[in-house]
Amino acid sequence: MNDDDRLAMKKRVQRLVYMAAGGKISEEELGRYDTDLRDLGLDSLGYLNLLEGLERTFGVAIDLDQETDHSFLHTIDNIVRYVAVQRGEAA
Amino acid sequence: MTETLARGPIQEAMTGCLERHGGRAAVAGGGLSLSYADLGARIREAVLLLRELPGDAPRHVGFCLGNRPEYVILYFATLYAGHLPLLLDANFNTGEIEAIRGDCGLDALVTERAKAEALAVPGKGEPVPYGEEVVVLPLARAAELPYRPRPSTQVCRFTSGTTGRPKCLEFSGEAVVSAARNWVLGTGMTGDDRTLCLAALSNGLAFNTSLLSTFLAGGQIHFLKGAPLTRPVARRIAEAGITRLVAFPTLYRNFVAPGGPEPATMASLKHAISAGAPLWPDVREEFRHRYGLDISDYYGIAETGPCTFERSADHHAGLGEPLPGVEIRIAPGEDDPAVGEVLVRTSSMASGYLNHPGMFEARVDAEGFYHSGDRGRIADGRLHLVGRTQDHINVAGRKIDPTEIVAVVTALDGVADAVAFPDEDLNREALVHLVVVAADPGLTRGAVAEACRSRLAPYKVPGRISFVPEIPRTGIGKPRIAVLREQLNASPQ
Repeated sequence: MNDDDRLAMKKRVQRLVYMAAGGKISEEELGRYDTDLRDLGLDSLGYLNLLEGLERTFGVAIDLDQETDHSFLHTIDNIVRYVAVQRGEAA
Repeated sequence: MTETLARGPIQEAMTGCLERHGGRAAVAGGGLSLSYADLGARIREAVLLLRELPGDAPRHVGFCLGNRPEYVILYFATLYAGHLPLLLDANFNTGEIEAIRGDCGLDALVTERAKAEALAVPGKGEPVPYGEEVVVLPLARAAELPYRPRPSTQVCRFTSGTTGRPKCLEFSGEAVVSAARNWVLGTGMTGDDRTLCLAALSNGLAFNTSLLSTFLAGGQIHFLKGAPLTRPVARRIAEAGITRLVAFPTLYRNFVAPGGPEPATMASLKHAISAGAPLWPDVREEFRHRYGLDISDYYGIAETGPCTFERSADHHAGLGEPLPGVEIRIAPGEDDPAVGEVLVRTSSMASGYLNHPGMFEARVDAEGFYHSGDRGRIADGRLHLVGRTQDHINVAGRKIDPTEIVAVVTALDGVADAVAFPDEDLNREALVHLVVVAADPGLTRGAVAEACRSRLAPYKVPGRISFVPEIPRTGIGKPRIAVLREQLNASPQ
């Protein structure tokens, strides 16, 4: 994955988080990809919507029970890295 | 079960279930699958563990745990041990748990190992493991409690209270058994039913529709480990032949969104039940169109138990007919006598609020009808809701008093005025919209949000914060919400 691809994926994930949060978190706030989404107010319902969105958009199956460390969902940077690995793309 | 176990209406009903249905499958989830005989044996073992708890009888055992078979085992074991189960929301934070502890007393907390380790409270004992992930955490009780449960109380559940103090509802064993029996009768539940319960067991919806009711019918209750995403939910439905899905509006919306599960995976499903928050009519319509099944948007009240259910496949409007043991009246409204406050009398009513004496009684009239605060009408024998008579904001089934939020915000430096009211986000989920008049031009949205986060339970934190120069008010000072909404719509922030 080159830098352009990575940035494009970050923007797609940023949009998914925005939609998952129902617009309660602004796209501007989400523009810093290393900010913890929980600190921005993404709640459990928002995470549920985000997981659905990630599965359907990127075709990855995310099983939280198989993941002992859930920090891959804490920032947009982490999500992009996780999705890339799941898709067999170099993060 | 032997005679040394505690007796009561719930235990007697459950003992009958365990004896009648011995070899049938009872509970499944998280890799565990138990027959009724297995369940009985596990309960007996757990009774021994719970009887070792320190403290005076009856011990108050809090459950702060997600749905799983261990919840069922330890809940019934608590009853058979002669203790009192208090079913907390698994998302309650330390402040709320401590408030309950101070009001109602907790001698132990059944919770996940990680939560027990993270819980920083005084008087925390050594966790007793129950399986790999669950522990029973002993807690030292305050010497003198301000409130004592009624002698008839067998189960306590909670509703969101003000100022971080959840309100503790007391239920007699008769009320719990009655709610379960009436649900079985009123919804046609049988021993062939396999219920996948995704709503929290601490919630009245799941508690009444899935727990004892399943066992009375001789059916199975299934739990899903992990997040309730549509893909694993559909897979479980298909693999286990689930006949009843007990869930919440967001899940149903995700089912009908593009890319949702194929209808074939849902072929075994006979009832889809939604509660906790109002279901969107278009989601209900789309679900029927896609899966050929009507979602039962059942009506229940925490204080009264389940009230209605729609059994007819031909009826698509309203919230169904009253269940057995339920009477519903409409208090004639001023504008239209057919539309008014919904009054409910059931055989599964709570006895009262343990930590708010008199508050429940004040809402029950001389004839025993509970004044729900909801406005509605009866048409074709079905209940239809049209709104609420009170100003509470319902966010994901939790009723929030906006005055609590306003009190927190107006106490901040730099805030001249504030008002909170119900609104929706882009996904049409309910949220608290807080509108602030700043006395200090440097006051930021982030600062207000942070102040709310530090002083309020997470679900009470406003989902949207707007600033206006002035809040329009009536002559007596009441905020004019409709006018404010128009102003905000005209100039969104």
